[in-house]
Amino acid sequence: MQLELRLPAAGTHANGGPRRLVLGLPPLFFGALAEGRRLRLSEEGRFIPQAQKFRLAPDAHVGVAAYRRGMTTSPNNLVVETEGLTKRFGHRTVVDDVRLAVPRGVAFGYLGPNGAGKTTLIRTLLGLTSASDGEMRLLGLPVPARRAEALARVGAIVEEPRFHGHLTGRENLEIVAAARGRKAYELIDSSLEEVGLTARADDRVKTYSLGMRQRLGIARCLIADPELLILDEPMNGLDPAGILEFRGFVRSFVGRGRTIVLSSHLLDEVEKTCDYIAIVDQGKIVVQGAIADLQANGRPSALIETGETARTRTLVAAHPAVELVSDNGNGLRVTLRDVDALPDLNRRLVDAGLDVYRLEPIKPSLEQRFLEVTTRLENAA
Amino acid sequence: MSTLALELPNRRLISADLLKLRKRRGLVLVTALLTIGVVVIVNAVSETLHLIDPMKHGPVGGVTMLGHISWAIAALAAVAAAIVGALAGSGDSDAGVYRELAVTGRSRLSLFLSRIPAALAFVVPFVAVAYALEAGASVVFAGFHPQPSTYLLTVTGLWVMLSAVFYFLLAYGLASVTGSRAYSIGIVLAFRLAVTPLIAQIASLGVVRELLPGVALDNLTPTALGTAARQGPTIGMSVAATAAVLVVWAAAALVVGGWRDTSRDT
Repeated sequence: MQLELRLPAAGTHANGGPRRLVLGLPPLFFGALAEGRRLRLSEEGRFIPQAQKFRLAPDAHVGVAAYRRGMTTSPNNLVVETEGLTKRFGHRTVVDDVRLAVPRGVAFGYLGPNGAGKTTLIRTLLGLTSASDGEMRLLGLPVPARRAEALARVGAIVEEPRFHGHLTGRENLEIVAAARGRKAYELIDSSLEEVGLTARADDRVKTYSLGMRQRLGIARCLIADPELLILDEPMNGLDPAGILEFRGFVRSFVGRGRTIVLSSHLLDEVEKTCDYIAIVDQGKIVVQGAIADLQANGRPSALIETGETARTRTLVAAHPAVELVSDNGNGLRVTLRDVDALPDLNRRLVDAGLDVYRLEPIKPSLEQRFLEVTTRLENAA
Repeated sequence: MSTLALELPNRRLISADLLKLRKRRGLVLVTALLTIGVVVIVNAVSETLHLIDPMKHGPVGGVTMLGHISWAIAALAAVAAAIVGALAGSGDSDAGVYRELAVTGRSRLSLFLSRIPAALAFVVPFVAVAYALEAGASVVFAGFHPQPSTYLLTVTGLWVMLSAVFYFLLAYGLASVTGSRAYSIGIVLAFRLAVTPLIAQIASLGVVRELLPGVALDNLTPTALGTAARQGPTIGMSVAATAAVLVVWAAAALVVGGWRDTSRDT
């Protein structure tokens, strides 16, 4: 159930609109309203009927935290939702029936190889190109119907951030602030400080390095005081120190209860930076969920090194628990249907007279999972 | 923010668009040269020649010189305005910043509309100063020539300004359609300086020539200036027809430019 409260003039939204709160609340809440009871917001940030206390839905604290920032929350706590989202260019389907669900307050990685349709999905979500089919909601608001309202609370970088090179970093932010509203101007200094560009803020952007432009792009997003950041390949052009710094920024941003969706083809970075992930291939989402869950669901594998690789390959491939055998440097990488088959595999190798130098089970990794679900594995096989 | 507020350009948005233009040193220099610079140079050279040899070179003031130099200002201010219009219409796209502005949720129509007053606020002062200098020179250095009346100075000034504003709007709309500064400037200048005079000379085209904005602007030349401020043949048009031609051209450029700007994939 969903309730929308328009709040009195204690302040205004960052973009000038009225404060508003939409909460997903249990039926009891509506029962209280139906009975005409008055509600108050407790110090702990809970709505309490004056005559009777009740329990909020488990995720309601998120809505209250958001209310304190003057924001709107989605009743189902998803900041990005798509259903059957499709984008075609002529006969080519670039985004194919995508059903995406990004929970609030996480770093969400949209991972896929180059050309998988990551940027097109982001452009479609942001209204930079129209969808061919399907539905989208940003921060609980349907887009494109309420695109302007939704985007007022979204910061985004699509592909590399671009600027007017003849203007300073601060002036570039002022231009976007002019489009966003008065509150955005007030956040320029703090945003520049947050990305470490205060000292160079009054230099022309054409003198900035690629890494500095990336940081300025983040600052440009932050002046929106966004609930949701959508970043397209944000690690491109960053040096190792910059990547480390960016990772810290992501965790800090998410730590404030906000959400980041970042697209990347850099599997390692997504694994280190994100909590949730969707793996996309040829425009389709092939798997999505918490990274820890995906890793746990990955198929077990092992590295095997013996004195005779060719014979080993034949023996191992014949084992019923072995799904795939591939070369791995001096030995073989074996994907198993069942990790418990490993001792039996070892026994067969020894019985065949092979000297086993290495037999090492590998913890399922996101990389392995990624390769399993994308067509790269098919191509490699 | 209300939907209406998102649709309409506000003062901050216009100031931001003005900032983009006035911070371009090259653009400031070229615009100043094509407007104020031309007036200063022509007057300085003419007055120097007059002082050196007054029998051969007349004074730089008076009605006739006002006509000649106002024609030059109108022509070159139109060039400057076309450059500014093309830059305003394609600047964000060229720099790749248009997408960054579009994702703020601000309506594209608002972004399109805000650039018009901003660019006019940039180019109009240059044209105004250039014409003010010429108006002053035409009075101060009139010598034995008749001085222009206040009315003539005013209508000539308005005519010069109209020419600049019209070609700005044309270039702005065109640049919004093509997304290319270079193509837009080239097309507008070719149309203004070559195609219009050429077509205007083809008498067999008859009233069709009246559809050209250059012909319409020629028709608005103050009659007191005589032929001094005219470029092509006289093609008689009513004021209403003249106004209609200019309004339709400008409106068409803005509507098509606005449609393209608000509907393109970015």
